[in-house]
Amino acid sequence: MRTYDNDLTLLRELSLLFGPSGCEGEVADAIERALPALCDSFTRDRMGNLTALIRTGDLSSENRRRVMISAHMDEVGVMVSEICEDGLLRFDTVGGIDVSVLEGRKVLLGDESHRISGLIASKAIHHKEKKDRNKPTPISKLFIDIGAKDRAEAEQVLSVGSVGVFDSEFYRFGKDGAFVKSKALDDRMGCAAMLSVMSALVRERPTADLDLYFCFTVREEIGLSGAKVVAQRIAPELAIVLETTAVADLPETEPAKRVAALGKGGALSVMDRSTVYDREFLNFARATAKERDIPVQIKQYVSGGNDAGSIHKSGVGVRTLALSVPTRYLHSPACVASVEDYHSVTSLVEAMLRAMDTETS
Amino acid sequence: MDQMKNLAREIVALCSVPSVSGFEGRSTKEIQRLYEGRFDRIETDAVGNHFLWKTCGREGAPRILVDAHFDEIGMLVREILEGGFVRLVSVGGLSPSVLQAADVILYGKEVLRGVIVSTPPHLRSAEDDRLPDCEELLVDTGFSKDELEKILPLGSPVGFAPDYRELLGGRLAGKSFDNKACAAIAASAIAGVPREALAGDVVLMLSSFEETSRLGGASAGAFGLSPDYAMVIDVNLATVPDVPKSETVPLGEGISLSVSAATDRALTLASQKICKEKNIAHTMIAAPSSTGTNATAVQLVGGGIPTVDVGLPLRNMHTYNEVIDLADAEALASFVEAFVCDGEIAKNFCVREELPK
Repeated sequence: MRTYDNDLTLLRELSLLFGPSGCEGEVADAIERALPALCDSFTRDRMGNLTALIRTGDLSSENRRRVMISAHMDEVGVMVSEICEDGLLRFDTVGGIDVSVLEGRKVLLGDESHRISGLIASKAIHHKEKKDRNKPTPISKLFIDIGAKDRAEAEQVLSVGSVGVFDSEFYRFGKDGAFVKSKALDDRMGCAAMLSVMSALVRERPTADLDLYFCFTVREEIGLSGAKVVAQRIAPELAIVLETTAVADLPETEPAKRVAALGKGGALSVMDRSTVYDREFLNFARATAKERDIPVQIKQYVSGGNDAGSIHKSGVGVRTLALSVPTRYLHSPACVASVEDYHSVTSLVEAMLRAMDTETS
Repeated sequence: MDQMKNLAREIVALCSVPSVSGFEGRSTKEIQRLYEGRFDRIETDAVGNHFLWKTCGREGAPRILVDAHFDEIGMLVREILEGGFVRLVSVGGLSPSVLQAADVILYGKEVLRGVIVSTPPHLRSAEDDRLPDCEELLVDTGFSKDELEKILPLGSPVGFAPDYRELLGGRLAGKSFDNKACAAIAASAIAGVPREALAGDVVLMLSSFEETSRLGGASAGAFGLSPDYAMVIDVNLATVPDVPKSETVPLGEGISLSVSAATDRALTLASQKICKEKNIAHTMIAAPSSTGTNATAVQLVGGGIPTVDVGLPLRNMHTYNEVIDLADAEALASFVEAFVCDGEIAKNFCVREELPK
């Protein structure tokens, strides 16, 4: 198996960037800086999506296949909804975050141009009645503390509508650093995998006549919206969505509900809450994995959803595949994934694109 | 401003030293590294207390105890499960609301990183909204069960990962300010006082076991020292929304002095006088029958020790993102310095008492 992003430099850089849904500029800027060396041409649309094209084979052929490969740049986050008299901030989530991972966390707040540290808090356990200690604090009783002593001080640096993301360390851990922990692995792993695949394809292009559109999309976490307009513009025949999928492979979870397991390769979706996937394309992915000896697993629980939900229905319809890195504790400041799985997903995407011929999948 | 930053650095350095209750004794080397040369001697005792001595050099001088507990809340390894997951038991009062997805460090034969597990919204059912206690949660370590059993003995301490941030207006966020921030502030203040200015021999006791039993380290340590009088410093719950103001102290408005039947009234009033004379920002708080700190225990040690209870306001107590205000830290440092140099207190509270014959 070819290995990419071996020391995870790329994944680290992308994961730590600031990109709550609707404010993905910092992530897009970083990816855009890398694109000139990785594709034939690229554009950034007015919504903020980046689309990069690699053309292979006979450029004059009329039978060129259009393939969309996508990963979303945005991450779940928070938005300031009120600046209180005492300098504390009330907020809401951008995308789905469970309250059980909000209280106590560090956040970075700001907008396109500046950042400020804060943390999410409520009253101390000493002030909670015993009967309330095992109840999650509703978001209306949580606040963000940035250190401001009053409203005026807070308003100098933030306003209602300022957004934020978890401020959380990126590190490898476990046996020989087998796992990686960070915020926003969903879906910077997909973005990083795409960049690795592009780099491999540009070095040695596939021979079939393909127009490969690599799309870095916005606003997935609030309803799959960026990918929708990109797919409508490209009108691809095939689409591969690179994602993370929530898994629960803990000792106490009954096997049927574990979804997938870390360390067993990328997870292919058969069905989730937004899509029933194309069987033929799925079989092609499995066959390619088998032939190339790349580990892959089938996602075993109907849960979640991703950009495939809007892509497969776009235009006249698109045969769509979702390949995900199984990830524990998704949408928390501490997402955990296997480094091997991340590399297998990259390898499988590259192998599939190389195995596609001009005529059929 | 620069001095402020130094104090912040000293606080972060001590608060980063792991010291889960019961394992304080493992940190002797770190304490020596931080304070060697700045105190006359550093001693330890049987129950995990550390004593930082600074003597005044005068024969028969009073002995002044400054107590700040050094232990921190944390967890212990209770069981190792399939897939390298670790079951925990809590040490001290952990809030279930901040545990999930927290970064932790496991101090076994090797130092390991880990993450406390959480359930993502994708896999959570609507009725499943109870926050599990520490004992019900697991730590994800990334090792297999067999590998982990070799390097992580049962009972190994587990602490939150140290990770600090500066907030606006000179506030600091991070773990274990309860109570190592107070310990670091007191150490910095006492180390900076010229020996000849001290009103007596000063012992800074970094005491053990406060979070698990409110008498453990401090009473044993105070018994061994039998000081003439004592100051106990601990953090105090700072004002937040949804909590009555009477139960908290304002953040950023200086230290608190407890008026309590459990401490020495005269010493408390003398301390208030210091604050007024030196212009040290402070709030008097009512703690009628207990201070909720080591002071309640220390004042009853041996033949009784006149004790004052001093507080540093802190938000988010017992989380890994406690918040303090450096202006309060400066006020505390000024107060400790003035207290250990106060000749009048030394004169009034250094009294040899005897039973009637």
